[in-house]
Amino acid sequence: MGDLAERLMEELECETVFTLPIRIPAIPQYADGIPIYESVVVTWIIMAVLILVSVLLTRNMRIDHISKRQALVELLVTKLTGLVEGMIGERGKSYVPWLTTVLLYIGVANMFGLFGFKSPTKDLNVTIALAAMSIILVEAAGIYHLGIRKWLHKFIEPVPVVAPINLMELVTRLLSLCMRLFGNVLGAFVIMEMIKIVVPVILPAV
Amino acid sequence: MNTLVAIGAAIAVFGAIGAGLGIALATGKAVEAIARQPEASGKINTALILGCALAEATAIYCFVIALMIIVMLK
Repeated sequence: MGDLAERLMEELECETVFTLPIRIPAIPQYADGIPIYESVVVTWIIMAVLILVSVLLTRNMRIDHISKRQALVELLVTKLTGLVEGMIGERGKSYVPWLTTVLLYIGVANMFGLFGFKSPTKDLNVTIALAAMSIILVEAAGIYHLGIRKWLHKFIEPVPVVAPINLMELVTRLLSLCMRLFGNVLGAFVIMEMIKIVVPVILPAV
Repeated sequence: MNTLVAIGAAIAVFGAIGAGLGIALATGKAVEAIARQPEASGKINTALILGCALAEATAIYCFVIALMIIVMLK
């Protein structure tokens, strides 16, 4: 078991793949170049895969006599957008493409651990960035649809005393969102490692 | 010291009881609702999956905290 704890610690750390030769002496971490972490590189690979697949699947689209490939794409797109639209409702239609993109990215990123890569969502920085993006989008949508006065008024509802709690909720929601995805992926990883220890005959440890 | 750390992590995971009970209750009610109104199963499913994901957060917090206890205190 001591071996497992060491491997876990090893996996929790994100390695630097290479260093960008841009020196920023003002910031001590970037004094000898900006480090590029493994999660960023794997994210680039995921982006390339997603872009390649979408380009390959959406070539030669036609209105009539559609090919099997186009039928599959149409089915996928309708199902995914329908799922997201069912959750967000009729009025939030303009946010559906962004949410579907994030859904696709997170789905592929979690799956990427199976192919020998290190899942980028196992890095806390990635999940914090995703959570921050979501919180900023939610608040920006609030300002856009309610107007800034009504949006500010939301913080002192139902009584002005609860304003600190409402403000704190912004931070706790961010923490909750990022910890949830991180914990999920890490939990899956730990359980996979344990399965490899328990049944090494069926699932030989790689 | 190691024993105490292990006991602490085990106590932290006790919070997962809440998540288990919550998901069990939600699923039971969803099954009842689908049995009563099978045509509404799509909407019920969406709400159930969303609620389960939120309820699961408690268990994941427990897991993360237990892991932090083990990793930080060792």
